[in-house]
Amino acid sequence: MRLLNILVIGALILAASFVYKIKFDSTLQAERVAKLRGELRRERNAIAVLRAEWAKLDTPGRIQGLADRHLALQPVKATQIDKLDRLPERPAVVVPSPGDDPIGAMLAPAPDTTGSVLPPGR
Amino acid sequence: MNEAKRHTENRWQRLLRSLLYGHDVDRNVKAKARLGLAVVAFAGIFSIIALRLVMFATTSEGHGGRRSVTQDAVATARPDILDRNGEILATDVKTPSLFAEPRKIIDVDEAVELLTAVLPDLDASEVRERLSSKRGFVWLRREITPSQQQEIHRLGIPGVGFLTENKRIYPNGAVVSHEIGHVNIDNQGIAGIEKWLDGQGLAALHMAGLATDQLQRPVTLAVDLRVQYALRDELIAARDKYKAKASAGVIADVNTGEIIAMVSEPDFDPNNPREATDPNRLNRLTTGVYEMGSTFKALTLAMALDSGRVSLSSSFDARMPLRYGKFEIHDFHAQKRVLSVPEIFTYSSNIGTARMALSLGVEYHKAFLKKLGQLDRLRTELPESAEPLVPKHWGELNTVTIAFGHGLSVAPLQAVMGISALVNGGKMIPPTFLKRDQAEAERLAQRVIKPETAEKMRYLMRLNVEKGTATRANVAGYYVGGKTGTSDKVVGGRYSKTKVLTSFTAILPSDKPRYLLLIMLDEPQGLPETHGFTTSGWNAVPVGAQVIERVAPLLDVPPRFDLPKADQMLLVSAKEPR
Repeated sequence: MRLLNILVIGALILAASFVYKIKFDSTLQAERVAKLRGELRRERNAIAVLRAEWAKLDTPGRIQGLADRHLALQPVKATQIDKLDRLPERPAVVVPSPGDDPIGAMLAPAPDTTGSVLPPGR
Repeated sequence: MNEAKRHTENRWQRLLRSLLYGHDVDRNVKAKARLGLAVVAFAGIFSIIALRLVMFATTSEGHGGRRSVTQDAVATARPDILDRNGEILATDVKTPSLFAEPRKIIDVDEAVELLTAVLPDLDASEVRERLSSKRGFVWLRREITPSQQQEIHRLGIPGVGFLTENKRIYPNGAVVSHEIGHVNIDNQGIAGIEKWLDGQGLAALHMAGLATDQLQRPVTLAVDLRVQYALRDELIAARDKYKAKASAGVIADVNTGEIIAMVSEPDFDPNNPREATDPNRLNRLTTGVYEMGSTFKALTLAMALDSGRVSLSSSFDARMPLRYGKFEIHDFHAQKRVLSVPEIFTYSSNIGTARMALSLGVEYHKAFLKKLGQLDRLRTELPESAEPLVPKHWGELNTVTIAFGHGLSVAPLQAVMGISALVNGGKMIPPTFLKRDQAEAERLAQRVIKPETAEKMRYLMRLNVEKGTATRANVAGYYVGGKTGTSDKVVGGRYSKTKVLTSFTAILPSDKPRYLLLIMLDEPQGLPETHGFTTSGWNAVPVGAQVIERVAPLLDVPPRFDLPKADQMLLVSAKEPR
């Protein structure tokens, strides 16, 4: 009977310390959660500020002002737009003949360019 | 059943009583029973205590929770408003606000002195008055900067604190002002979509203090920011060029009823709501009503063609001005001959349209306009709307004038809805400022005219651009169709000879319209390059052409250069298998 009591008291102390440990851990975790939540809120607010700022910098009015000042681009005309399936076939690539052929190199076509881009070195 | 229950209860009670108090029961049994009762009672009490302990243990992260409550005490978050491509039109940013609890303040004079040192523009006498009051809570300054917050925090004045509030930011300023509206300092919607949002249950959330930012889904509007900006840019330029009092424009998707862009210039910056109360800056497209002039002839012609009694080859006598009582109806581009139906449209003949409407009768005319929604107030998401001015006694004279767009004032957005129905195949779709898909539009659509009539209307609109009043809108590659409108403004109860309202309604592309554009100029002035003319063809139409040229690539309308002339259009579409 006494042995049983001692055993029970021992178990009680063990259980109490175990519960205390759990409680302590959970408090720690709870504090961590609270801290993270605060951090999350701060980050979210910072994201909101940055998004607002981005949207402000991204307004068409501002972009137009910058483009007018710094770029020589013109508005696109209807004639400059066409469908992809109306694009002519790409010209066949001519493989330069091996060997030293100065006249052949001179005749070889310039690298692929479109009409609006000047080939390099000209 | 009931009796049996009572019987068992009684027996139980009797047993219990005899066990506890009975004389004839064994003392040992009695003691055991009493002990058992005590054990049950104590076990109950202790289990309650244990339960409460567990409850306290689990909910004791109280300080974390409490802090967040004070920080979000003014829970007035609003959802972001996005354009159709996800660009931000309105968003919330947290800013600190300064408040005081006067009862907790020890030295008012010191507090006032310290606060005005940090915030020099704070009115000292007003602050002193507020701090001396007996109230529990007063605002001192809304929306201060974080650095000011730091400084005031360092002063360490008791009874002064900060609350984080949501401040509404409109990054695009005035560009989308009339659609999104604005909010007041408490983040409540005052106008536009913002007010509509409050009506959708957001206001209730605010009242309950539950509107935190995590619950809110962004609202996507139909507006395309790039198109809206381009339209506004062109309208501002037009207003300056023609020295007009105001300019306005709408671009609508005729197949879904979405409003892709809506500008009414002058507008206001929603970040500065004080501007919004200026009556000159009101939204002319929804809150103003106007006599739309010749634009209405499109409705009259559609009515005539849809009735089946008039065909494209019918003709009407426009040799003489139409006399009606003491009134005489003249043509602006008078031809003084019998005109066919397409000619009536392209010469914009008042006499012809008036005769056409008269031939169908007053009641028919009225019923048709009613069907097209021109006689009732148009309700959209925007809270601002205006009732059309409909004549009380609608006689033949009214039908004569309304046939060419005088005598009936409608909100321009209403006219956009009506004309969209004429060209999109005959389905009337209520306009919306929110993003909408084709299926939902089909569900809301109501058939108002036959598809064949819509086909003819497209032809007439295209013809008018090829050789009518709107030739300046013939932007190469986009197959624009359109109708001009010039109406004399009513000044002091009479039609003014010099002050006009010009408008241009364009469809794009005419063979299968996707978009409708309306341009309106209020009192444009004649210029040397317009030879002093103020009619629509000289101002609203070129503006429309510029807008189309600029906006069509953004709207993904491919330019085509192999398109038939309008005269072949009907034949082509008739042959096309359906």
